[in-house]
Amino acid sequence: MRLFDALFAAVLLIFPRTFRSRFGGEMRDFARRRIDDARSLGALAALGEAIRLLADTLAALPAAWLSLRAERPRGIASPPSPYPRDHMDTLRQDLRFALRALARRPGFTIVAALTLALGIGANTAIFSVVNAVLIRALPYPDPDRLVLVWGTQGSQVGEGVVYADYLDWRARSRTFTDMGVFRPQSVNITGGDAPDRLVGSFVTASLFRTAGTTMAAGRAFTDAETDLPTKAPVAVLQYEAWQSRFGADPAVIGKTFTINGTAFTVVGITSPNTPMPLFGAPDVYLPIPYYPNARGFDRGERGVMVLGRLAASATIASAQRDLDAIGRQLADEYPATNAGTGAAVESLRDRTVAGTRASLLIVAAAVALVLLIACANVANLQLARGASRMRELSVRAALGAGRGRIAQQLMTESVVLSLIGGVLGLAIAFALSRALVALVGAQLPVAPTDVRLDGTVLLFALAVSVATGLLFGLAPAWQATRRDLADMLRSRTPAGTSARTRNVLVVMQLALSLALLASAGLLTRSLIALQHVDAGFDGDHLLTAQFRLPATVYDSPEKIWAMYDRTVTELRAIPGVTDAALVRASPLSGNGDPVPVTVEDRPTAKAGDAPRMVLNVVTPGYFATMRIPLLAGRDVDANDRLGGPGVVVVNKAFADAMWPGASPIGKRIQAGSDEWLTIVGVVGNSKHFALNETQALQGYIPHAQRPQIFTSIVVRTTGDPLTYAKVVREAVWRVDRNQPVWRFRSMQQDLDTAVAAQKAIMWLTVSFAVVALLVASVGIYGVLSYTMLQRTREVGIRIALGAHPRSVTRMVIAEGARLVAFAVAAGLAASAGAARVLSSQLFGVRPNDAVTFAVVTVVLAAVAILACYLPARRASRVDPMVALRAD
Amino acid sequence: MPSDPRTHLPLTPIVLHILLVLAEGERHGYAIAQEIESATNGQVRAGPGTMYGSIQRMLTAALIEEMPAGRRGGTDDDGRRRYYRISSLGERVLALELQRLVDVVRIARDKQLLREPRPV
Repeated sequence: MRLFDALFAAVLLIFPRTFRSRFGGEMRDFARRRIDDARSLGALAALGEAIRLLADTLAALPAAWLSLRAERPRGIASPPSPYPRDHMDTLRQDLRFALRALARRPGFTIVAALTLALGIGANTAIFSVVNAVLIRALPYPDPDRLVLVWGTQGSQVGEGVVYADYLDWRARSRTFTDMGVFRPQSVNITGGDAPDRLVGSFVTASLFRTAGTTMAAGRAFTDAETDLPTKAPVAVLQYEAWQSRFGADPAVIGKTFTINGTAFTVVGITSPNTPMPLFGAPDVYLPIPYYPNARGFDRGERGVMVLGRLAASATIASAQRDLDAIGRQLADEYPATNAGTGAAVESLRDRTVAGTRASLLIVAAAVALVLLIACANVANLQLARGASRMRELSVRAALGAGRGRIAQQLMTESVVLSLIGGVLGLAIAFALSRALVALVGAQLPVAPTDVRLDGTVLLFALAVSVATGLLFGLAPAWQATRRDLADMLRSRTPAGTSARTRNVLVVMQLALSLALLASAGLLTRSLIALQHVDAGFDGDHLLTAQFRLPATVYDSPEKIWAMYDRTVTELRAIPGVTDAALVRASPLSGNGDPVPVTVEDRPTAKAGDAPRMVLNVVTPGYFATMRIPLLAGRDVDANDRLGGPGVVVVNKAFADAMWPGASPIGKRIQAGSDEWLTIVGVVGNSKHFALNETQALQGYIPHAQRPQIFTSIVVRTTGDPLTYAKVVREAVWRVDRNQPVWRFRSMQQDLDTAVAAQKAIMWLTVSFAVVALLVASVGIYGVLSYTMLQRTREVGIRIALGAHPRSVTRMVIAEGARLVAFAVAAGLAASAGAARVLSSQLFGVRPNDAVTFAVVTVVLAAVAILACYLPARRASRVDPMVALRAD
Repeated sequence: MPSDPRTHLPLTPIVLHILLVLAEGERHGYAIAQEIESATNGQVRAGPGTMYGSIQRMLTAALIEEMPAGRRGGTDDDGRRRYYRISSLGERVLALELQRLVDVVRIARDKQLLREPRPV
């Protein structure tokens, strides 16, 4: 596996350069062959072999370094001592000693192992999510060759593509092996006992080839079936939909279903878990010519999305140049429609993970900090223990163990302890990853089952465990080899391990904890600010739903408007409903598009630079239903009829931007089309796509004048909105028995979803910060306890000379306060850095917000000083007689 | 550099096994490890660290030599890997060590300490 290769190469870096350059290549080859052989016996055997290989290599490390310093090549004879003489024996003996030593001090071992388990487990859990989302996100064959192609119009990027342009790109480009079109949209399926809605996707046959889709049964589309002139009413079902919506009927191929008013025959079923870009897999695939695009597939009409597969020799840059050249040709051939248009190529991986990458990396960094703090704790614990081990180690040295040997043994102990922590951590990792999926699964662009502890994650856990062990093992190992151990036996001075190292570690722990606390504080304030955003409407007791009329049945604007008018009447008649209306895109639903707007007498310089307005389509009474205040003029009403003079209601932001201080009533604008609309009213601002968006310019036109086949229902209820789903559906069925209605959600649900991601990150960071603070407090407690223990004699003398116990307490706390002061200084600097990294996630609070920093500093100082209190009290209770007598 | 082979005795087990394998002909590192494993029925399983750490020490002590490039033979021909062969000093050391082991076994037999498998 690639990960093991990288890990092994990293381990080789610790070897002396001469050794590495001489034997490194052969050793990597060796390891690779061993893993390959083991892999044929199963994944578990391969993992075991990986561990053995790493252990063996690490065991050879000290000898490789020590042999550098050999002045004369001595004979290869081993010293006549009872010690083992080659690496495998050495390792086995070290392991036995390590396990014995750890078993002798169960208290230390349990505390250290649990601390490490927490740190390693948390990191592994986060990594399993990172692995699923960032590393493994694209389960297509050869996913890094896949790109999305967007249309561009002037300076606007990210537009839909014109189908005719796509055909030309596909025919003329030389940097793509294939391209396909997809357009997801809900479709109505009728003919069963109740009309229903499926998630559909209108595609070309080439899309399946581009994405590498395989079929579980039947076949995919042929090119002829998805071409405009030769289209055929055939359908392909997605495997999971076949199971859940079509009852896993084995004879479904060949059957006909009425979709969007047309009879389609099923010709194939995709394999399970087929991936599709951007929106996930639909329930059913239909040929693109059946996409109910009101404006057809003419040149200049945008509406589809394109997935492309780069040729082996192409890069995104070369593909971009290729399409730019084709774009220029098309602009020459069709100046009316294609002037100023082009294409933008984007890696599918970038687009799929973009939204979550920043948040995931922040969380991963936070949890890594927690692990560092845990390591420091264990290192401190070991250093404290080190003093009592000096005797044991001195004896070993006297018996002939070299310094390198002892260091090796201590490192082995650390790594073993760390591996024990790692194994325990796996249980924590499993539980934590399940919890994470439950908490934030909806925000992640992968299926919940993709987040699991697979081989890569286990190898990560192993690597982190070993690295952790090496990291916190360094301090005691280095300390043990610095002194002349044999000397220590002779003298009777108590071994004074350097207090400075331990103090530095504690300061580091507290500083990192402060950084985490500050981050948690900033994120908490962001969330609170987000939750207090005035959405501009009243989301209480509001039910929303959506439906799309079949274009074949509702083939004229009059028919559509008649249906909508009757629907609103029926909705208003439901008992318990105080208000109802239709709107094309309800707030926070994700629907809606910004269109360029032109103000009369104020022409804009270039087509691409016009201001954009979120244009919505409403029935009369929408504002009253949503409780959006009407600030001037009037609402759309029954007099604004089809074919009449076009009217529009704008929001305050638009009015203030275009006519500051004056009334916009009566002025005219164009929004998204050539028709001039007269402004008849001004309403309050409201949020549309997200709660933390900068206020958009908004405009509302009457449904009667723009009857599109898709719309949403908003209903203000007296009781719990979701209980009204059934009666709302029945109200629509009274107008059209065959019309499915879907996506029943209360506005409260949408408001909660809007902040769900931020809330999750906040809770995670807060948990990590609390854990970090606890661990660091235990750290400072431990260090002060030990320091005071060492100074027992001094304290005893002070008390004997008449010092008040309280002054002793003060002395200890002062000692602790000194450490805390350094920690705060370092921690504030770290916090400032962390805040800068976080700034993209913050809302309503500045990264260097003084209040937050002050509050968390006080919290940290308070907790830390409190942790000093216990050792302080113990020190003040020292009985001078006992203290002075002890040796 | 001491050329008296006796200064190299006693050999550590891994060094002994490597010399036993190379006494039959030149090998590269992985092949040596594989032969040792099969010859000892899996008892001695050397990893890359053990293997190449030992090889380095044996090269320094001149018990083995690296084959000059271009002179390869046998069925394990692989241009990428380095091949090793036993040196004449190594042959002498191996002979002395094997004799030492034989002597030890003889002492044990005389004292009836050795329980040998009965011939079927």
